[in-house]
Amino acid sequence: MKRRQGWLFFIIFLLTLSVYLLINYPLQLGLDLQGGSQLTLQIIKEEGKVTSDELEAVNSVIDKRVNNLGVSESNLQTLGGDQLILELPGEQNPLVASRVLGKTALLEFRTQKEGTSSDLKTLQLQRLSIKELIEQYSFEEKNQNNDNFLKVIQDDLKDIEQELNYSSTSNDLYGKLIEIKKYVDKEITNLFIKTDLSGKDLINAGRRQEQTNSNWEVLLTFSNSGGEKFAEITKSIAGTNQLLAIILDGESISEASVGNQFASTGITGGSATISGNFSAENARELEVQLKGGSLPLPIEIVETNTIGALLGSKNILKSLYAAISGLIFVGIFMIFNYRILGFVSVLSLVLYGFFNLALYSLIPVTLTLPGISGLILSIGMAVDANILIFERIREELYEGNTLTRSIDSGFQRANSSIVDGHITTLLSCFVLFLLGTNFVKGFAATLGIGVLISLFTSLNCSKTILRFFTTYQSLRQKNLYLPKNNFSN
Amino acid sequence: MKYNLELIKNKRKIISFSTFLILLSLLGILYSTFNTSYKKPINLGMDFVGGNELRIERVCEEECSNLSPDSVLENLREISSSKNFINNIKLQFQNNNKLISIRTPYLSIEESNNLITNLDNIIGPLNYESKDSRLIGPKLGKRLLTNCVTSLLVSLFAISLYITIRFDKKYALFALLALFHDLLIVFGIFSWLGIILSVEVNSLFAVSLLTIAGYSVNDTVVIFDRIRENLKLKKEDYNETIQLSVNESFRRTTFTSITTLIPLLSIILFGSYSLFWFSLALSLGIIVGSYSSILLAPSLLLKD
Repeated sequence: MKRRQGWLFFIIFLLTLSVYLLINYPLQLGLDLQGGSQLTLQIIKEEGKVTSDELEAVNSVIDKRVNNLGVSESNLQTLGGDQLILELPGEQNPLVASRVLGKTALLEFRTQKEGTSSDLKTLQLQRLSIKELIEQYSFEEKNQNNDNFLKVIQDDLKDIEQELNYSSTSNDLYGKLIEIKKYVDKEITNLFIKTDLSGKDLINAGRRQEQTNSNWEVLLTFSNSGGEKFAEITKSIAGTNQLLAIILDGESISEASVGNQFASTGITGGSATISGNFSAENARELEVQLKGGSLPLPIEIVETNTIGALLGSKNILKSLYAAISGLIFVGIFMIFNYRILGFVSVLSLVLYGFFNLALYSLIPVTLTLPGISGLILSIGMAVDANILIFERIREELYEGNTLTRSIDSGFQRANSSIVDGHITTLLSCFVLFLLGTNFVKGFAATLGIGVLISLFTSLNCSKTILRFFTTYQSLRQKNLYLPKNNFSN
Repeated sequence: MKYNLELIKNKRKIISFSTFLILLSLLGILYSTFNTSYKKPINLGMDFVGGNELRIERVCEEECSNLSPDSVLENLREISSSKNFINNIKLQFQNNNKLISIRTPYLSIEESNNLITNLDNIIGPLNYESKDSRLIGPKLGKRLLTNCVTSLLVSLFAISLYITIRFDKKYALFALLALFHDLLIVFGIFSWLGIILSVEVNSLFAVSLLTIAGYSVNDTVVIFDRIRENLKLKKEDYNETIQLSVNESFRRTTFTSITTLIPLLSIILFGSYSLFWFSLALSLGIIVGSYSSILLAPSLLLKD
């Protein structure tokens, strides 16, 4: 008796603790419940597996970029060795994040090969016309394009292709335009020779509006050694007709000459500006990318989920309805069939609910929609154990055993088959948790935790509550445990 | 209340019924593989093939005006020029024209934003707070599919191993037969749903199959336990004992299934739409699972 009372106090203690935990450490809600965006970034590596060092390096660059973007409460985690998951809660547009994160942002400084001046001039002109064509195309597209204009663009494109002696392979016009632009960019880059100065030599980046017009420029600050390299490079081409190109991800974003006055020392002071017709937005994005450094491996955004805040709160409400109605109907079913035993199982179900939620906030488990469905499903499974026990107790009672004895042996004999039966479900949960995606893991975690806790609540808690009830004489009549009509025969 | 299922008498009927269900499922799978546009045993959803899915609500004064999907598509066609994109777009109005759901091939975030802006111009204003948008690249889709199939195989292997260790050969074989019977039928039902109602399966469907596997074996284990226990006492002959054991455990098996079905029905009725097919698959699995645990598996144990 004393031991049982000990259990009772222990259970009350756990319940108090759970309530305390839930009040002080609120549950973490997934994006499908609070609204927000989730981006899955895949690291691209042509050969071999992504090593953990590489993953770490990509992770840290992305992390810096996300922080510099000023996204609030974002969460970045790695998944499966070569993926990263970025969560942006609330109404934040994933578009900017995707543009900034998706680029490798490899910054190079190159000097022009000697004797390529005229080649470069032609290519620069071609680049200008292709850029204009792309702008025209976007403009026409927005304004319900008519076929005449498209034809003009097409003809112009053909002229450029002939000049370049290159024909594009894309199917649609826009794809062709982009393809040709890439080709021109590559040709321009090829006219320049690599130097040992790169984005790695930067210690900071900034932006400011140009004084003469409304365009923006990006400021680069070199490290000491970077400053020296920059001075050396500029010195080598100062006064010649060779240009210095700043190349980002294979595309030259600025080509500038270095004046004769720098011929003796080069450009000193350890800083440079890129002024390539940046809009405020573009300048900011480049600043963020340069500050974070370039990615050691390219990444691709392979999945984006966005859920509105209103939909999120609707999802919470719907899940709540489902969980509560599930609980109520299971409760009615149990009390109808098992009388006082059913009531006991309802009490232990309530305890089960509290313990589960408390554990979620303790571990912590982030609640998502699949997670909630795991929880709701585990309500049903938690009662399973009670049913197995209660059926045993009924059998014992039918056989004419006393109440206390029936209860004791009911719990004892059902014990092994309950533990056994839960093992297969736990096995499935375990595999799901190991191999599943983020989405699936939530379900596996809540269902698995649920099954484990239900072993405690349906075995120990129900037993303790039942024992407590049977200490009252008025609650010990057999007909409170068995339906009357059945008991009579 | 005693139950009296005449298992011995009805053995043939039960086995024929199950065979019929299995053949029907196989037929669905074959038809789906060879005679549908997607040429797969089951209609794979966006999770596995990649794409863009958008659901968003319109803001309407009282009732939302009636719009035909075709006219909206016509408008979209004028705005966006890519042929491949426009030809593969699926559009639906639900909830009295309030909710619009669109499926397209994979789009970048930028393109998806453009699509939404275009929609806003055509049928707006839209309530951005109600947006539900998913973009899955085709590469990730393939990976998810392999992932799901691997999880399914690994977990089936683990369950089979556990059952073989725990029971002797004959019991293990029949428990596993019942398990594959359940999985095949649920799979077949979704093949048919794909053919008739173009219902697609996503990664949650794989999860439901795994959960069904765990749960269905559990039910069979309970009944086989009872049979073994009773056979040790050897009161009556072998077949009678099996029938008795099934009747003895009938109540608890149906009851545990009912209490698991109740919360699932709550999700189907009240829960979020994204859990609808998931809960339905689980419910079907539990119904088929109880049937096979109570009737099929013990019938297989009966001697002629």
